[in-house]
Amino acid sequence: MTSRVGRRTFLKMAGVAGPAVAAYSCADQEEAVRLGNTAPVDRASVTWDKAPCRFCGTGCGVMVGVEQGRVVAVRGDEASPVNKGLLCVKGYHLPGLLYGADRLLYPQRRQPDGTFARISWDEALDLIASTFGETLKQHGPGAVGMYGSGQWTVFDGYAAQKWVKGGLKSNNLEPNARLCMASAVSGFITQFQSDEPMGCYEDLDAGDDFVLWGNNMAEMHPVLFSRMLETRRLKPATRIVDIATRRTPTTDYADLHVLFKPGTDLALANGILHLLVASGRIHLPFIAENVVFRRGIEDLKTIGYGCFDEQAERYTFEDQAQPSSLDELTTFLADYTPEQVSETTGVPVTQIHALANIYGDLARGTVSLWCMGVNQHTRGTWMNNLINDLHLITGKICRPGANPLSLTGQPSACGTAREVGTSNNRLPADMVVTNPEHRAEAERIWKLPAGTISAQPGYHAVDMFRALKRGDLKALWIQTTNPWVTLPNRSRFDRTPDDGRFVVVSDIYPTPTTAMADLILPAAAWVEREGVYGNTERRTQQWNKMVDPPGEAREDAWQIIEVARRMGMGHLFPWPDDAWHEPMFEEYRSFGLDHGKDLASYQQLKSTRGMRWPVVNGKETPYRYTAGYDPYVKKARGAHFYKATGYGEKAAFFLRPYHPPAESPDGEYPLWLSTGRVLEHWHSGSMTRRIPQLHQAVPNAYVEMNRADADAFGVKKGDRVRLVSRRGRLELPVEIDARGRPPQGTVFVPFFDESLLINLLTLDAMDNISKQPDYKKCAVRLERV
Amino acid sequence: MRRSSRARVGLGVAAIAGLVLVSACGTGAPSGAVARSTGERAAGRAYDGAPPTIPHDAAVGACVTCHDGDGTAIDGIGVAPASPHGDTAADGAFRRCRQCHVAQTGATLLVASRFTGLPQGPWQGSRATPGAPPTIPHTLQLRGECLTCHAGSGARAEIRTTHPERTRCRQCHVPDSAPMP
Repeated sequence: MTSRVGRRTFLKMAGVAGPAVAAYSCADQEEAVRLGNTAPVDRASVTWDKAPCRFCGTGCGVMVGVEQGRVVAVRGDEASPVNKGLLCVKGYHLPGLLYGADRLLYPQRRQPDGTFARISWDEALDLIASTFGETLKQHGPGAVGMYGSGQWTVFDGYAAQKWVKGGLKSNNLEPNARLCMASAVSGFITQFQSDEPMGCYEDLDAGDDFVLWGNNMAEMHPVLFSRMLETRRLKPATRIVDIATRRTPTTDYADLHVLFKPGTDLALANGILHLLVASGRIHLPFIAENVVFRRGIEDLKTIGYGCFDEQAERYTFEDQAQPSSLDELTTFLADYTPEQVSETTGVPVTQIHALANIYGDLARGTVSLWCMGVNQHTRGTWMNNLINDLHLITGKICRPGANPLSLTGQPSACGTAREVGTSNNRLPADMVVTNPEHRAEAERIWKLPAGTISAQPGYHAVDMFRALKRGDLKALWIQTTNPWVTLPNRSRFDRTPDDGRFVVVSDIYPTPTTAMADLILPAAAWVEREGVYGNTERRTQQWNKMVDPPGEAREDAWQIIEVARRMGMGHLFPWPDDAWHEPMFEEYRSFGLDHGKDLASYQQLKSTRGMRWPVVNGKETPYRYTAGYDPYVKKARGAHFYKATGYGEKAAFFLRPYHPPAESPDGEYPLWLSTGRVLEHWHSGSMTRRIPQLHQAVPNAYVEMNRADADAFGVKKGDRVRLVSRRGRLELPVEIDARGRPPQGTVFVPFFDESLLINLLTLDAMDNISKQPDYKKCAVRLERV
Repeated sequence: MRRSSRARVGLGVAAIAGLVLVSACGTGAPSGAVARSTGERAAGRAYDGAPPTIPHDAAVGACVTCHDGDGTAIDGIGVAPASPHGDTAADGAFRRCRQCHVAQTGATLLVASRFTGLPQGPWQGSRATPGAPPTIPHTLQLRGECLTCHAGSGARAEIRTTHPERTRCRQCHVPDSAPMP
């Protein structure tokens, strides 16, 4: 059967031949038909230019190959310090995101019969301007709003920020990043009084131990995961710890896999702190110099979960921090002995000790990494606090290879949503609308009369869609995101076109969200326009427009500017039509200069592979708050938390207890449901599902089951089952022992598939500090179909 | 890029095997294997330089069981070429194959794609004079192990080297100066 040109036997090959014959035929034929249309391209006429990847928050550099006005290839940018030439399968197939056959090409307006009809840009922009203007006049600024994205470029987000807060005088501006990053923000703000990490990707090269909290990095941040594996290859003493609620591809590479019961990570972190404090493995000089202790409200009923009917308004909760101390911490941690924590979490006592030994070995650098598992958590702020606490108490912070490093899921969650501050209470550069000095500063830079910006925070994301449903919000413009796939408990937010609301959606493809719209606008994507993104490690990356958008598609920022002009707010955007990007960026940049949020100049961004802020005198800062790296730190060595003026320029260690999740399995709904992503798809799948190679790799959602659960229920791989929660039901094919292997009593479903929409089942419980929902924990049962 | 010692041994075998197998004209395919045509090869890549998709059931085991050393020829199917990335050993830098290479289910596309990728080679390197060694018409990014593609069982006829025993390829062949995929 086989002829070897080496030393191996054919037996190893026997498994390949059969499936290979079957797998070749369809896929190859289809591809051949597609490639049959390939026009001859002269490779010498291909031009190459840099851009960041359009997908996750890693911010990999790619070189984009353009020929005859079309993107024809990408390659990993070897000059990019982020990825050094490597990409993941999504990055390598980036060009395909522009070329799905159903790109939106023209503005379209919903007709009385429910269909959409093409209208002109003038008609569309006039319609938005008149409807928003009329709504403002009749119902005030609380009735209009905008919902954007961590995929917005800095330009889009800044235009939205200025138009909504400076033009409409409303604070109803939110990014979808509320659903993915808000707990990380509130974690950093509560402890360091400034958003975003102190660490950077060099931590992945310099660290000795990497502790991944609920983070399937192998699939979600594959290039960073590769960088970490390379560190372990070069330094074999490196350890990787996977703390998780199921086995994933990340687990396969871990030195230690710690499986915990969903939601009990709070207890686990406190258990580690207990052992560290009890054994004195804490860094007393660092604490004395750099740390204060604080304690917030801990009563479960006072805080609530902001989801159930009787608690639905409970998200008005505001935490209050009281001074605490190391002594009080010792008492507080008495409840978290290894035995008690083991009982709560299901983690063996020996593993709790192993984790304490890692954080407690003060000679080794520890890097904690986390993303959605910690952030999409009903106590996400607390969990962020506890991870930062582990670093503060051991002094493993602000040192190369020793930092807490929060990973991000969207390409400009940091650059746009967090730095421009496109949320219901923020202004650029860590400023907030509730602070009169901050409002005055924004009004000064924007040349607006004093008192223009409202002091009243607007709706946060979940509340924004509840308000739309209630009718308190009457006109909403959604850009670059797909809430009717990504909102938890989605049917709570469904609308009908005759509900009297006006919903505008700007996107590049038809989605369940455009299906809910009254007006659809076609957007330019990625390199079809000039842009700036900011990644996880504070790196601001600029790219040029390389190809024209299809049809009449236009960039989001342009859409906002044109509506503003039609509403008599053209003074907000006083720049020439053909050269507004650079002056807009420089105006935005002025917010952060001399505030520790100094961005690089536009010209410097154009000529580099991105720069990490603060950028002072043209020099970037890899490690923030860190002597020798951060120009704002005046000390000769160590850390200086200079933004935390409320804590005497120290960081706050927060005491945070364990609270149970909002909903746990019971007799009626006996299984945990967790949701998330897969390597091949990104976010709601509207782009990656239109890329043939990615769609073909994972064409639909499925439910991952533990084999014992499947056996007990009498189903096997490929069978269909119905998943039922208190909120919805969904039929899915079963996966067993595939890439993810949940423990008994847990199932996992990816959320990328709009036709198998798991967010019909998820619970809209949230962290009442960050207002971020929890997509990782709710109760379901199985039914036979 | 480093190669594991195991891979180095494999390369040595490949060089010898190449000498045996390569016919006088230097374009012979491994005996018994069905060489993939240029079109078949292109069908597995979105554009020139894209990572190929996996053209078989990916659940058959560790990729490097077949895609290592000198590659593996399979009667009636083709060849499982060795990785050109260098170190794919168990602790190697390129062990996470499926981070970039994914299997294809054959599922119907959600919508058609109008993407037209940069056409694929084989490209001709340029020669300074007739008989001079041709330049390398592609980047060396992740393709630094020349012999995995240009010799051994995984080598397609069009790009097989006539002299696989000379393992220091870039002593004579240098990359084209123009940007390439």
